[in-house]
Order: sequence, then structure tokens, then C-alpha cells
Amino acid sequence: MPKKIRKLALLSALALSVASMAVAAPKDHYLHIKVDGAEKGESVNVNVPLSMAEKILPTINRGNLHEGRVTISHADMNGVDLRAMLDAIRTASDNEFVTVKQHGQDVRVAKSNGNLVVHVREAGEDGHNVDITVPMKVVDALFSTAKKDELDLGAALRALADAGDTLLVSVQNATQQVRIWVDSRSSQD
Amino acid sequence: MLLLGKIALGFAGTALAGMGLLCSEGMIQVNVVQRQPEGHHIRVMAPALLVPLGLRFAPRDRISEASAEIQPWLPTIRAALAQLRETDDFILVEVNEPGQHVRVAKSGGSILVDVNAEEETVHVSAPIRAISSAVEELAAAGPSPVK
Repeated sequence: MPKKIRKLALLSALALSVASMAVAAPKDHYLHIKVDGAEKGESVNVNVPLSMAEKILPTINRGNLHEGRVTISHADMNGVDLRAMLDAIRTASDNEFVTVKQHGQDVRVAKSNGNLVVHVREAGEDGHNVDITVPMKVVDALFSTAKKDELDLGAALRALADAGDTLLVSVQNATQQVRIWVDSRSSQD
Repeated sequence: MLLLGKIALGFAGTALAGMGLLCSEGMIQVNVVQRQPEGHHIRVMAPALLVPLGLRFAPRDRISEASAEIQPWLPTIRAALAQLRETDDFILVEVNEPGQHVRVAKSGGSILVDVNAEEETVHVSAPIRAISSAVEELAAAGPSPVK
């Protein structure tokens, strides 16, 4: 009898460990892009598993993109040391760093709750409302390469998968709305 | 009589094994329905194995040209197909516009393309394994296949 109980206990422990492993298995996250055209009722939805994007990215070697990294030329930076600037933001506490108000345009760059946040508000009929939220972990991953003029997109994708559900970009004007976000659902329903 | 039975059994077994081999890569389905008074309804269901097999008999010059074009993208296509095989089912692209709906999805081991337009509806289903085999066949036809 005790032998039977021991066997049963062993089997139960095995089943429990297998079940816990299944529960702990990380669920794939999806990058969703949704474009809605208000006027003609058009919409485009794209869903890409982040794991798939992560594997495909290093295989594309074209232009400035190579092995999952993108090279930024000095000319594109207009003399701005982006790495030093982001390093300063990273070490700073939550704050508003840039506020520009001019001719119907309102731009705000801030760090809030571990995210880098950019808001742009444009007045007028053709004005755009842009909201960008990037987790600082993703920003850190982008600049995790040794080379100063490179951004590591592959590392950023991995960090994005770890960051959980996030609304990354929202752009809206009178006729169109674009949303880019990450979550664990495979569809946009 | 017993001998005839054995021969019949042999033929049936061979035919069954052949069918099994032919269907081992799944089936490709194409369904086109034209929404017109005398519109056609085209329905094709063929073993996916025929696609890479058919590529072997296609004109060499045409295949070489296509192969050369695909070469730079082979690592990307291979990585995408390998990942598609591993991921759960999902809708890759969905486009809605007045009078037209297009959907590209991964379902089971296949890629599904559905077009629902005013004039016609199109449904194509192709097993990912068959797509991989066709890509490899195409790659092998090039001057220097990328491994």
C-alpha cells in the first residue's frame, strides 16, 4: 500500500511540474498595426508575431539594415549625440524634457513611468495628433550595441516582447487613424 | 484464385502507398467563384507535392531567372516559413475597403488567402511545407544556391 501511495505521489508531482512548465511557457506577443480611413471606410490590419519578426530581421541585409541593426549616418543626426542625450534621459527622474509651442503646434517630450513619451498636437483641419510611447527598456535595447552609430532593432524587439501590452504609436488626423501596439492576442478583434 | 487475390492486394497496396506519398505534403486548394450571371466556378484541389515536382519540369531559363531574383531573399523567406510553421494560427494581413475584403492568414499548417470582392470570391490554401519545398526547388535551380 505505501508503495502505491509513493508511486501516486510521484506521478502527481510529475504531472504538477509538467503543468507548471506549461503555464510558465512564455506566450508569443504580436505587433499590431491598424490603419483606419474614416472617409471611405477603408482599413488595413497587420499582425506579426514578435518572435517571427525577431528571426526574420537578422536575415535582411539591405541599405542601412544589417544583422538586425540599423546604421545611422552622422549626416542624419545633424550633429546631435543621440546616445548621450538618451543616456541623460535614462538617468533622469520622470520629467518633461522638451516643450515646444509654436504656430498651432504643440510638442512635448517626457519621461513618465518608465516610458519615453512624445506628444505632438497640430491645430487646423489637416493637423495630426501623434502619441508615441516607448518603454525605456526598449530604448536601452536599441542603444545596446557597441558601435555608436548603430541601433539594435533585434534587441529592441526582444525587449518589446518582455515589456508586455503596450500602445506604441497613435497618429490621428481628420481622415485617418494609425495605431501600432503590442499584446499577446493574435488578432485585433 | 488465391494468386489473383494476392496480385489485386499488391496493386491496391501500391496504389494506396502512392496516394499517401502524393498527399504527404497536404493539398493545395483554389476556389474561384465569379459573381456574374454566367460566371465560372473554378475549384482545384491538388496534392501539394505536385508543385515542387512541376517546377522540375518547367523551362530551365524561366526558372533560372526566377531563381536569381529570389536568391537575395532566400534567408528571409526560409526564416519566415520556419517561423510560420512554429507560430499559432493568426491573421497576418486584413484589408477592408468598400466592395472588397482581403485576408491572409496562417491556419493549421497552411497559408490561406481569401479575397471577397464584388465580382468574385477567391480562396487559396497552400501548405507551408509545400511552399518551402517549392522555394527550395526554385533556389536549387539558380546558378549558386544560397545555403
